Amino acid sequence: MGETLLTVQNLSAWYNVDSGGQLSQLLSPCALKRTKSRYSEEKMILSGFSFSLAEHEAAGLIGLNGAGKTTFLKVISGLLPTFRSENIRFCGAPVDFRKQDFKLCRYTVFAEDNSFSYFTFREYLAYVCAAYGKEVTDVPELVQGFHFEEYTDTLLRELSTGNRKKAFLITAFALKPRLLLLDEPVNGLDFQSTEYLYKLISGYKEHGTVLFSSHILESITLTSDRVFVLENGKIRQTFEGGQINAEEIREALHDENDR
Amino acid sequence: MMKMTGKAFAKKLFGAKYERLPRTLLMDVIIFWGLYIAGFQVQIAASVRILMINAFTAGVMWQALSSGDNAVELKHMLMLPQQPKEFVFSYVAALGAYTLLTKTGLLLAVLLAVSAWKPIEMTGMAISMLHGVLMAAAAYSLRKYWYAGGLWAAAIVSAILFLGNRSWFGLLLLANSIVSILILWKAEVYAFYQCESEKSHAIKQRKRGSLWRYFFRYLSRHRNYLVNTAAMWCVALVMPYFLREMAGLSVVPVGFAILSLNTPVCILLSCDRDLEQAVRFLPGQKGCFCVPYCLFIFSCNMAADMIFLLSWQIQNGGVTVLMIAGAVFFALQSAVLSVLLEWFYPIRGWKIESDLWHHPRKYVVPVIMLLLAGAASAWPVLLYVLLALLAAEIVILLFIPKGRS
Repeated sequence: MGETLLTVQNLSAWYNVDSGGQLSQLLSPCALKRTKSRYSEEKMILSGFSFSLAEHEAAGLIGLNGAGKTTFLKVISGLLPTFRSENIRFCGAPVDFRKQDFKLCRYTVFAEDNSFSYFTFREYLAYVCAAYGKEVTDVPELVQGFHFEEYTDTLLRELSTGNRKKAFLITAFALKPRLLLLDEPVNGLDFQSTEYLYKLISGYKEHGTVLFSSHILESITLTSDRVFVLENGKIRQTFEGGQINAEEIREALHDENDR
Repeated sequence: MMKMTGKAFAKKLFGAKYERLPRTLLMDVIIFWGLYIAGFQVQIAASVRILMINAFTAGVMWQALSSGDNAVELKHMLMLPQQPKEFVFSYVAALGAYTLLTKTGLLLAVLLAVSAWKPIEMTGMAISMLHGVLMAAAAYSLRKYWYAGGLWAAAIVSAILFLGNRSWFGLLLLANSIVSILILWKAEVYAFYQCESEKSHAIKQRKRGSLWRYFFRYLSRHRNYLVNTAAMWCVALVMPYFLREMAGLSVVPVGFAILSLNTPVCILLSCDRDLEQAVRFLPGQKGCFCVPYCLFIFSCNMAADMIFLLSWQIQNGGVTVLMIAGAVFFALQSAVLSVLLEWFYPIRGWKIESDLWHHPRKYVVPVIMLLLAGAASAWPVLLYVLLALLAAEIVILLFIPKGRS
């Protein structure tokens, strides 16, 4: 592990209960200026959430449903403006998750994504590479690894859930951003692709940092340098190196369930 | 079970606490009183009124029945054991209530406010509304026999046009409604479920991710949008005749403004939440996405404007460079405003696609265009000013300081 890449201190994030959907808050610039009096109408998801990520590490987020994993990844992806934090730094400097220079350093694979459904994988990849200003080289290897050869020229909307997930994962690993965020990457993948994904996550440290959320203990224990256990919107426990084993983490999750 | 099924669909359409209902009804009352107090009156023949209510109600009901969101809901409901007849009637009742209360109610408020009516005509209008719902549902359940449905609809439209003014016409609609109920009585539950097509389209291998291609695919896969675009082109063809009759050359900008009403292509982000998430998450999308999207809407508008100008030249002659510049202004200005609205204020909180297609926000840009067209018709010199302002607007938008994107 290298120097600190991302630091988040005392982060709170919430959704408006009357909003009718999480996405309704995407573009509300005034959301950040809300006063405390409005908090009664808001559902707090993350509260007192602090953590840091090092350069070149693979970190896993695990927690029960509703613990705040996806919300945290959405905050970092710049998709949830209703949050506040004492201090957020990326490479030592304060960061705005919606600024272009930060966006160029990260890419997120969402748990469910039906975007750009009228593009084929090949077209989507070209479009994303143009947006990031990158040329990618090792796509054929990734396509082969995920057994995706047949589908590169099929519209994304015509792919099955698992194959659509593969399209976004291949794009992510081909792009090699400095910070790669994966939300439930294993969901929907077949056995062979899951194994290949574990290999990719473990090997990603060469290029940058990967932070991923999962419900599957195996995916975390096989790939992560650090494991963060989330409970009620904050990190309850952290496991590192030799501490990472399925029994210990399972126990932490059971405790969480009992609390 | 029937009550629970109806409740499940109604909650989806009206909100968990039916909060949408009082809001919509209040809106109807406000519109009714606003128009009534304004004293604006028009004479509408009974047959035209019946046709309007029937066609509008049946159209909205059909859209609701074929909505993709409903298909998902329906799939989960059909997985449960159901009594077919109970299910069909509660499903049709929920969608019918949604259509009548949130959509036809508004039309009814306008019609009642702007035209004189007798109590017996009110009964006729109520029967028409119910008839529209039932007939659309019955025809939808028989859509594999589309030719029979088409003939049935044509027969009813002809009957309304030729016999709609007769006092006994309501009875005919009632009789037809009973026929519709009988068809629904016999209908299969699965007749309402539109499963997704498994057909895979062969796509030529391309290495570039062109948004133009994306937009054309999007347009070509949505039959409603294509029909709307084709309808605008038909309007563009015939409009020069009517505008010449009205006031001659000075109303040409009004024609351009009307042709910017191709609203379905202007709600790409509103109707695709995942795409909206993606363009907000990827870097540089203000330029990479918004500019091609703006040019795409401009091309759609401009195509209709060119048909209009060609038709004008053939019918009336005298197309000038200023008229072409006017077409460019209205097509581009409405495209720029539409994209800005989509980027900053996408429509949210819609329940099914039909809400999106009838959302008032969609008509903000066409109304602005009509106001500008009215002003440009009154003072033609204003067009030069508007063109200069548009140029300045584009320069500012393209060179906005980079940062949040």
